[in-house]
Amino acid sequence: MGNTIIDILNFIWLKICQFAAFMIQLLDTGIKSIPYAFSWLSSNSLDIGVWYCQIVRWLMPVLALIILTAIIKSMLRVKNPEETWGYLKSDSLGTFPITHWESLIGKGKTCDIVIEFVTISKIHCAMIFDGINRWRVHDLSGGSDVSINGEKVSNSAEIESGDILSIGGVDFEFETISQEESSLEEKKRSYKSRTPVSPVFSISMLTVFQMLAASSLVINRPEYSIQITFSYIILAAVMWVYILVNYFGGKRGLEPEILAFFLCSLCLSVTASSSPGTLYKQLAAILIGIFIFLILSWYLRDLKRVVKTRHLMAAFTCILLAASLVFGTIQHGAQNWIYIMGVSFQPSELAKVCFIFAGAASLERLFKKRNLWGFMAMSFFCFGCLALMSDFGTAAIFFVTFLIIAFMRSGDYTTISIICCSAVAALGLMIKFKPYIASRFAVWGNAWENASTTGYQQVRTMSAAASGGFIGVGSGDGWLHNVAAANTDLVFGMICEEWGLIIAVLAVVAIASMSIFAIRVVKSGRSSYYVIAACAATSMLVFQTMLNVFGSLDMFPLTGVTFPFVSCGGSSMLASWGILAFLKAADTREGASFAVRKIRFGPKKIRVPSESVEIQDYTDEVTGVYNRGEM
Amino acid sequence: MKSITKRTIVSLILAGILILGTGIFVFNFFTKGSEWASYPANSHLYTNGILNSGTLLDKDGAVLADAHDGTWSYHDDQTTRKALLHTVGVPDGTIYTGAITRFAGKLTGYNFLTGAQHIGKDGNKVYLTVDADVCRAAYKALGSYKGTVCVYNYETGEIICLVSTPTYDPAYPPAISDSDPNYDGVYVNRALSASFIPGSTFKLITLTAALEEIPDVTNMSFYCGGSVDIGDKTITCTGTHGDISLEKALNVSCNCAFAYIADMLGGKTLDKYTKETGLTDSYSVNGISTKASSFGFKDDPAGEVAWGGVGQGHDLVNPCSMMIYMGAVANGGKAAVPQIIEKTTLQGGLKTGFYIKKQTERLVNSDTAEIITQYMKSNVVNTYGESRFPGLDIYGKTGTAQVDSSDSSNSWFVGFIKNEDAPLAFAVYAEGGGSGSRTAATIANTVLQEAVKSVSTEEE
Repeated sequence: MGNTIIDILNFIWLKICQFAAFMIQLLDTGIKSIPYAFSWLSSNSLDIGVWYCQIVRWLMPVLALIILTAIIKSMLRVKNPEETWGYLKSDSLGTFPITHWESLIGKGKTCDIVIEFVTISKIHCAMIFDGINRWRVHDLSGGSDVSINGEKVSNSAEIESGDILSIGGVDFEFETISQEESSLEEKKRSYKSRTPVSPVFSISMLTVFQMLAASSLVINRPEYSIQITFSYIILAAVMWVYILVNYFGGKRGLEPEILAFFLCSLCLSVTASSSPGTLYKQLAAILIGIFIFLILSWYLRDLKRVVKTRHLMAAFTCILLAASLVFGTIQHGAQNWIYIMGVSFQPSELAKVCFIFAGAASLERLFKKRNLWGFMAMSFFCFGCLALMSDFGTAAIFFVTFLIIAFMRSGDYTTISIICCSAVAALGLMIKFKPYIASRFAVWGNAWENASTTGYQQVRTMSAAASGGFIGVGSGDGWLHNVAAANTDLVFGMICEEWGLIIAVLAVVAIASMSIFAIRVVKSGRSSYYVIAACAATSMLVFQTMLNVFGSLDMFPLTGVTFPFVSCGGSSMLASWGILAFLKAADTREGASFAVRKIRFGPKKIRVPSESVEIQDYTDEVTGVYNRGEM
Repeated sequence: MKSITKRTIVSLILAGILILGTGIFVFNFFTKGSEWASYPANSHLYTNGILNSGTLLDKDGAVLADAHDGTWSYHDDQTTRKALLHTVGVPDGTIYTGAITRFAGKLTGYNFLTGAQHIGKDGNKVYLTVDADVCRAAYKALGSYKGTVCVYNYETGEIICLVSTPTYDPAYPPAISDSDPNYDGVYVNRALSASFIPGSTFKLITLTAALEEIPDVTNMSFYCGGSVDIGDKTITCTGTHGDISLEKALNVSCNCAFAYIADMLGGKTLDKYTKETGLTDSYSVNGISTKASSFGFKDDPAGEVAWGGVGQGHDLVNPCSMMIYMGAVANGGKAAVPQIIEKTTLQGGLKTGFYIKKQTERLVNSDTAEIITQYMKSNVVNTYGESRFPGLDIYGKTGTAQVDSSDSSNSWFVGFIKNEDAPLAFAVYAEGGGSGSRTAATIANTVLQEAVKSVSTEEE
């Protein structure tokens, strides 16, 4: 026993000595390195361009860290206070604020308005606002326990401010909020949801980042200096216009877009490094992407209109995929390219946006199970098309998005498990009948043993990624871009090599933080449509990043999907911006997003005999409710 | 709404997997990055598949190999070049354990911070622990034999001599056809990446097991009648030794006595000791893995086990691991793990790496080690003759391994010397060298004399 303790003490002492020796060595090295650095500098004369690039190499990761920590911090800490759309008031049970456009009412804990009363069932009814001016009550008790102004509600009925809603025999007066109240609330919310970081600071830093990137690219690719400079200036200009217009329009929650702009800056550098001739094309893709983002965000403001066009979008998704199956040409083993008038694009990329558009659903549709079957039918059509095209990466993305949407809509683990099992079975069958897919799986995890055949790309990605170290070898100085599909499927390796591990990891973190951001903002989401769409959209981005990054590093089978916003290519850029619109539409922070409509309620909605007095009292009372809620 | 927002957890899980996976990548980046970067297609470090920068030196600073403008130059002396071929390696990577191949990242100055775009343009200097003069002497001593000489300091782990033959001159590589018997296994470092039938040197392992497992074995007497039947095998001896003690049995390398002992111990026990003595381990010599020794004790019938205990049968021993065990015996149970890198520096001399010496597990109990040491000394005194090793306090065991495929047997000598300045363990192996005490012991003496001399000149 004594011996053991002595042994342990000896061991610890040995370790301490080793550590001390190491520290002394380190110190020694540090001191020695100063004169050495000088002697090295004097004996290695470099031209100014090389010097500049060396300094930029060290600056870029620092800048990227500053930009992203600011944005991501504010995204992860985002406060999204609840919005109030109206009240249910009862003399005996008190006042219940309605905080969503779609609210379940009942005694159960999962309800949005929990009313604990004996005669009220777990989920009794739902109140749904169309986002413009109409409210509807849906009876979910299956019985006849809901009535408006004494009239029984069978299935659903419209309700107006001032009506008496009776649930399980309890009478509630329904009131929408007044204009005064709405503006008071708006002030409170904008105070609470104010972001700690000014977007102007972030994009100033981002502009410096872009200019440094552009300048070092110009040094390394002098023959394309005009294209590089022009592309970066246009991108920066568009970014500033977008941000400033929003900023002065009172919309200050711009984190997702700034992240997207950051990733697009990386995309331009990847393009300039790998195929500088296509810079303008890539720039155009970014601009069209932003345009699609704006249009879609604007379109999503109006839930009623969105819900109406869902079927159209579902049909469009199917048409897009069917079209690429019929007209598509095969590239890199997958039949997913269509050429129209000299422009090639991948319909399956655009189908992603439409898929989410069609897949998300408002609460009204969730009442009926059969609606899910329609979605499933569309999804299976999509999987079928993609499988026939042999585009398994995209098929996997669709499948995971489908799973997310199906789960969010139904919350049903059994169904989801059955779907997963059948998917595994389908995959098994596919591998059996199409052996070339099996060969792709076979190399997975064994890339180094097959470095010159099936593991060619993965091995080179890893080698190049490791070569970059923390700060990268400098943009335009890498070699991975000589490998096929380096600027799309292997783009993570390119970023690692030329920009270093820090920026590459930050790019991944940027995508992941969008997802976490979505989860936080949807807590006070207006409609389940926005909640489902935002989560499906960010999950799609996350999963796509996963396939791209892990595939290129041999942690997954290499499926050849793009890194959102970063990979070169038009269709994928358009799709990425399109998908971002769904996140934007869910961001209900006050004054955050132009994709969210401000809704004001005119005084005409309030039926009160003597307006001025009543409203005064009312406001006080509301404040009281708020305080109660906050405590 | 509440129930739906709760379901957003799936998005969180997905994002978590992405972050986790990226974390795994970052971890791999740190642990395997240098290896990844050392891939010959990496044009930051390689020009047309040839490592493009770095200098390799021996412990005294003699340049062994140096890259300049994509071509490599070597030591001036042809014999030294040949002697160090397997240690230094060649730029095209055909010698897998060569420093140029295995330490590519260190030579080019690859590091995690600046990656392959190193601030020092001409790469780094990697100082090996080997002594070019000792290696040269070893190569000359091996003569025309195929084989290996490895010597290391069992206290510090420094490998002083690492020579493998056949070899060739890397500065003027000859055309080597696969079937050429003169170049049989020329790309393999026999000390690190090969294993051979150990012959009687394995009796040291059987002895270790006997000392620990059989009570009072040192006072036992064994009978040698020239041969003995165990199981369905007949174990023949080199002579008829009659009644013989354990110590004497080791001195004369009596097959009958050790076959008895092996039979007493049984296959399972011997198998345990091949593991405990570290022979079946694969050691990492600065990242170069040694080949693990292999044995058939676990499943073999009694006759084969008896042959195995004598060092024939299904035994295949890696010379380096045998050398480490010798170091452990000399050092009272544990030895330093061999290292081949002395230090790495920038071209200007600033150290960039720090190599902490590592100890092996306990390979043998200190009491047992003491008896083995004593017996190995009496081997030298009674059988080989101390006069053959002038000035050396040497402890050893020879082996003469019979190979089915060849008439001539292979010559072994393993052991260590005790010397304050040069605590060295060694393993010498010469294919077709015949008697261990004749060939291998002579080679060992030459090399050790040179090694001790080089240490003492350093002291001055």
